[in-house]
Amino acid sequence: MTALGVDVGAALNLIGALLRYLSLAFLVPAVLALGYDEPVWPFAVSGVITAAAGVGLGAMTHGRERIGPREGFLIVALVWLLIPAFGALPFLLDEPQLSNPMDAFFEAVSGFTATGATVLTDIDALPKAMAMWRQLTHWLGGMGIIVLAVAVLPRLRIGGRQLLESELAGPQEVERLGATIRETARRLWVLYIGLTVVAILALASLGWSGADPAMNLYEGVAHAWSALALGGFSTKNLSLAAFQPITQWVILGFIVLAGINFLRLYRVIVQRHASLVARDEELRLYLTFLVVGSALVLIEVLAGGFLSGAEAVRSSIFQAVSIMTTTGFATSDYTRWGALALMTLLVLMFIGTSAGSTGGSIKVVRHLLVWKLIRRELTQTVHREEVLPIRLSGAVVDERALRSVVIFFPIYMGLFALGAVLLAIDARRSHLALGAFDAIGAAAACLGNIGPAFGFAGPFGSYEPFSDLSTGVLTGLMWLGRLEIIPVAVLLSRRYWRA
Amino acid sequence: MKILIVGAGQVGSTIVEALHDEHELTVIDLDQARLNALGHRFDVLTTEGNGASRRTLQDAGIADADLLIACTSRDEANLVSAMLARALSKAKTIVRTTNVEFLDVWRERQLDVDFVVSSEVETATAIGRIIGMPNAKQTDVFADGQVEIVEFDVPVDLAHGETIGLPLREARIPGESKVASIIRGEQLLVPRGHESIMPGDRVIVIGSPEAAREWSGIVSQAAAPIDDVVIYGAERTGVALARVLLDQGIRVRIIEPDTARARRVAEELTGARVFQASGLDPDFIDRERIGQTGAAVFAMRDDEINLYAATLARIHGVRFTIAVVDEPASVAVLEHAGVDVAVNPRSVTAEEIVRFAHDPRVRQMTMLEGDRYEVLDITVREDSELVGKPFRELPMTGSLIGAIVRNGSAVFPHGDDMLLAGDRAIIFTESSRTARVERVL
Repeated sequence: MTALGVDVGAALNLIGALLRYLSLAFLVPAVLALGYDEPVWPFAVSGVITAAAGVGLGAMTHGRERIGPREGFLIVALVWLLIPAFGALPFLLDEPQLSNPMDAFFEAVSGFTATGATVLTDIDALPKAMAMWRQLTHWLGGMGIIVLAVAVLPRLRIGGRQLLESELAGPQEVERLGATIRETARRLWVLYIGLTVVAILALASLGWSGADPAMNLYEGVAHAWSALALGGFSTKNLSLAAFQPITQWVILGFIVLAGINFLRLYRVIVQRHASLVARDEELRLYLTFLVVGSALVLIEVLAGGFLSGAEAVRSSIFQAVSIMTTTGFATSDYTRWGALALMTLLVLMFIGTSAGSTGGSIKVVRHLLVWKLIRRELTQTVHREEVLPIRLSGAVVDERALRSVVIFFPIYMGLFALGAVLLAIDARRSHLALGAFDAIGAAAACLGNIGPAFGFAGPFGSYEPFSDLSTGVLTGLMWLGRLEIIPVAVLLSRRYWRA
Repeated sequence: MKILIVGAGQVGSTIVEALHDEHELTVIDLDQARLNALGHRFDVLTTEGNGASRRTLQDAGIADADLLIACTSRDEANLVSAMLARALSKAKTIVRTTNVEFLDVWRERQLDVDFVVSSEVETATAIGRIIGMPNAKQTDVFADGQVEIVEFDVPVDLAHGETIGLPLREARIPGESKVASIIRGEQLLVPRGHESIMPGDRVIVIGSPEAAREWSGIVSQAAAPIDDVVIYGAERTGVALARVLLDQGIRVRIIEPDTARARRVAEELTGARVFQASGLDPDFIDRERIGQTGAAVFAMRDDEINLYAATLARIHGVRFTIAVVDEPASVAVLEHAGVDVAVNPRSVTAEEIVRFAHDPRVRQMTMLEGDRYEVLDITVREDSELVGKPFRELPMTGSLIGAIVRNGSAVFPHGDDMLLAGDRAIIFTESSRTARVERVL
């Protein structure tokens, strides 16, 4: 065997450390299970297995702690497969609806990637601890496992930057919030935790004040985690339709907030640089997309007579925002709406949130930069020699970053098309009644980490009818979408592995 | 005054030429040959050595010098000279720099130097003024640019209007300005109320920059001012000029063949359009309609290339061409070859330094029309006989108070205004009356 250019041992060593940390996360559902008098063992066993795997990996690769930029890609790709694999253990061990390993893995990947697609058909039937574990996977994955690792693990002081950049959403370099990348990661998580606490208090107080009888501390935590991660899992079959309008509005507010670049949010909320927001082109476009998308859906909903009055307004805005921010909560079954609404929602699936947010899909900044590139290209057809640096909110964008943005579009659209076609092929093979639009929707919803799609996989539906093969394809799309493809695609090149 | 000049290059020699009559000069340079050349032409002392070394400065007599002018082409050496002079004497210091940043730092009072001159910025502002008023023969600024003195040639075929051809007391004169002199052939006219400006005259006007531009409109045939400029070359002078022009609200296009430099300038200057191209390419000039521009400035490194590019631009229809030249002789060569104005940054810099080096009470002094007129910037003494008299009572002689700088801002006095002690008066006078003016004030 020729010498490998990548230190796989070092990558596994770090993953071992992460698994040891993950095992602690099982304490949360375990404690809940104790409190609610539900079975504790699934979480205890999962925790022990995960910890053992972590310790084992650590022992096998003892002392290989130095990671370089190359290992970063491998680590990120593997982390986002292995963490959900261990996170799926409680589902596999004690949830009858998820006894199929592929289904359990799908559910866990959907959770950690904050997608929100589910193969469950009866969520209400889940034990409280199990349901909460599902919500927790969203929250842990939302801000990023690696971001957390960089914040917590002292050894990532070296090499942390590349790791962070391959995980954090968006095409640009990570701007530093603190003196070090570690401090930046810490502040991101502090902000994330802070916003979550605010959301929990806001939601729970709706329950305590009697404004929403269905709301309580448990539901508040569950939905705050899901909302800030832009996930979409709910503890209810009816998703947010099980709650009062006031609750839906509050959650809508937090979703819009979580779709903004957290690096920007930190500067505004904590460092009080409000002027940054006014000049932020990405933020303005993000809000514009939200408004235009909501308006188009509202027109269809009102004109088609699907809903009326305040409910029409609330549900139209909520669905448009929920889909574009890649969340996936639902207040109404949009699959029954007309073509204009469905087309708008499908297009919104390809827009996504701001870079550096917890959301997925293509990201607003990429659309913005491509638009600027198109304009530059048009100018340069007439004025060949004109030098036109592309600026984003005043700052010049590096040409290399622009190239990666341009490359991103065909890769993303290609994967989407490939996914949709594979679903159609598998539907023919397994005699599944799958409409073309539904295949498109499912592929787009998983690649964009959105969750609910159309047809049977709609907001109140489930991905359960898909065969294991299709579920596997969709799991792959979620994984690729969360990592924005490139870090995974790099692993496919032979040059990556060579010394 | 005893003045030490560090650097005997073009700037240094020009300064020596201007100051050697009135002051005691010592020139320091590393190059003995240059010093010899200067020493033969002018009555100055010379010291061979590094002006940034303490020993050399001491040998040259820094201890009892009144002024140090550090004008080598090396910014850092100039700064070190000035810092040493500060430590070794009470001399005032003037530093020449090519780096605009030093100028900014100095303005923020973080450089302990009395005066900083940047060739690039001085040249850029000079060209900016020319473009602002393309038909002005000569422009000079006073009081940090608040007062301008401009010479115009009134075209022979200009039609009479509200201003031209009417007695001055009836003519429309821009508010913040005064006619300082009318020159008709060899005849100098004191601009009393009954005189009028006729086509073919040369007029000298004192006023605010806005009023000066208004005058430019009055005496020019082509009414439209220049609103777009093409700059050839994105070297420091070109970039400084682009900034000046953008500030004036003029559209700027820059042509720069070097890819990296073009990119850097495009990133730096948001308002300007930058083209990575050779200005010597006729296809490009044609495609980009360079010929339709109001003015083109040639600020590339070689005088020869500037001349070639300017000629090509003129062939394509550019009406007004300005070149920035390197060699002193090139000014005449390029202007002879048809370039409208050629500017030598070193002589612009030297002029600026010389102004500062003059008598401390007379802040600035400029000669107009050869040495027929002088413009003085004098602080009025308390016991001056003119203090407290309204302007209407002052006699009309060959001298004129064109503007007053009071508490930092310029006032353009009318009949009822009075001169106060401590005012800075910008005075336009026939050279023969200079001594009298200084005495009276």
